[in-house]
Amino acid sequence: MTRHITAELLVLRKRAATWILLGIWTLLGTFFAYVVPYALDPEDAPAGLVQFLPESLAGTLISGFPFFGGVFALMLGVFALGSEYGWDTLKTLFTQRPGRLRVFAAKLAALGIVLIPFVLALFAAGAVASFVIAQIEDAPVSWPSAWLLIRAIAAGWLILAVWAALGVLLGVITRGTSLAIGVGILYALVIEGLLSAFADGVSALEPLTGAFLRANGYSIAAALGAPVASIESSGPGSFGGPFVDSAQAVAVLVALAAGFVVLSGLLLRRRDVA
Amino acid sequence: MSDPTTPGLVIETRGLTKRYGDDVVAVDGLELCVRRGEVYGFLGPNGAGKTTTLRMLLGLVRPTSGRAAVFGAPPGSPQGLARIGAMVEAPAFYPYLSGRDNLRVLARYAGVSEARVEAVLGEVGLSDRAAHRSATYSLGMKQRLGVAAALLKDPELLILDEPTNGLDPAGMAEMRAFIRSLGEGGRTVVLSSHLMGEIEQVSDRVGVIRDGSLIAEGTVEELRGRAGLRVRAEPLAEAARLVGALPHVDGVTSAGGLLEVAVDTAQAPAINRVLVQAGIAVSELYAQKASLEDVFLELTTTGGDPR
Repeated sequence: MTRHITAELLVLRKRAATWILLGIWTLLGTFFAYVVPYALDPEDAPAGLVQFLPESLAGTLISGFPFFGGVFALMLGVFALGSEYGWDTLKTLFTQRPGRLRVFAAKLAALGIVLIPFVLALFAAGAVASFVIAQIEDAPVSWPSAWLLIRAIAAGWLILAVWAALGVLLGVITRGTSLAIGVGILYALVIEGLLSAFADGVSALEPLTGAFLRANGYSIAAALGAPVASIESSGPGSFGGPFVDSAQAVAVLVALAAGFVVLSGLLLRRRDVA
Repeated sequence: MSDPTTPGLVIETRGLTKRYGDDVVAVDGLELCVRRGEVYGFLGPNGAGKTTTLRMLLGLVRPTSGRAAVFGAPPGSPQGLARIGAMVEAPAFYPYLSGRDNLRVLARYAGVSEARVEAVLGEVGLSDRAAHRSATYSLGMKQRLGVAAALLKDPELLILDEPTNGLDPAGMAEMRAFIRSLGEGGRTVVLSSHLMGEIEQVSDRVGVIRDGSLIAEGTVEELRGRAGLRVRAEPLAEAARLVGALPHVDGVTSAGGLLEVAVDTAQAPAINRVLVQAGIAVSELYAQKASLEDVFLELTTTGGDPR
């Protein structure tokens, strides 16, 4: 299995799209979390200047994962499987020794590994940005605890992993990339976004929104110190609650990821590669 | 069929059928047997069901009904796939990876040493371009890379679907010689093609498929059938009457000023003697064998068995 995973890592590592997404995600993630709001007016930020200082690193960054980061992870997931249909490479892989599910498992494992630098890169860039702002403001440099950072990094990975799993599922269902990405973004923006907004006024929608990726992702982010006011006013990816318990949110996200993976695996195993 | 099979057979199918919806029958009750160590030519017009059959043998497509076994294992099982190298339709590779890296990926999946990568690249003559992205390869080079990928496992069974597609005449000749050499030394090769010459030159046995069913099978010689005689004589009608009355002659037809005589070619001197003694002017008398192309066209247009 290790060799299968290294094969998939080779495929992902040498793919320009992986590096392009990593670069854009890191750049824009830092830009929207620090550069833009700080440049506009740091005192106008929901949590004030402290939001941009190293002590708020975990909360400030994690609030970018449930929606913005999710779309990047969705694309990675779509590429991981959807492109194989486009290039017809699934047939090449499936006629090697391992069975279909082993190939699928290797792809998932490699995708999970590739998400790690996505999380770490943003945290590293955010750390630099917050340090620079602290220097500019002549504010104390006080880093969050290692335990909080570890939990935030793990939560960031989990949130991205669920979105990536959704991307994998959409890639398998549509047997391609374009439609899968379109449907994924439609889901993220329109279905989750609009229904979450309507849920404020329509109580019947509340149970539904409770299963949304954004509801659970933001609930975890809030538990890790992300300013709720910032989550509620973050444009198309905003979320106005209700927030759920972080343990419940983790359980729902894990269940969703497992569901996406199982469904993808079943489809991949069952359908013809024609 | 998770268990087969007749000893000596590498591939065996029984009533193998693939339907798409209610209307399309891609493969219809196929009965196919490929013996160990032979080069089996799988011949059929476009859309006859060749590729679907091969995909079913590799486990890429699930049969609607019927059974198939490859090395005694169900199609697509790891134990079977470990012994098979395949190139189905156009070779498919990651376009941004080099030829070498593509093979490295496959070698890791196939569980073979990466040293094999250089060996097969050398075998197909791609060593010089191995570091270049496969997207930059010509169609012929992609075919070679496909064959290299199929050879990675040093397989006992090689399944090649239209391997000369996109090759120039020299490349085609080279590929045929290569396939022939692959068939030596006990390796079984299934070669699917719609090109008669290709099949004729490299195959030990040939199966002809039409509308998803195997309509003829045998060696090239068997398929081409018994030779006949062609006679140009004057007057033709009298010649036809005399020849038709001779023993051993199965039939005489007249076409284009020639008599086509269904008879053992060894009877040529006797026929010539009879005609000359009757005062008929014989200007031509020669043996004529049907080409595989004639047989193929007859089989695939009329469905008749020429033998």
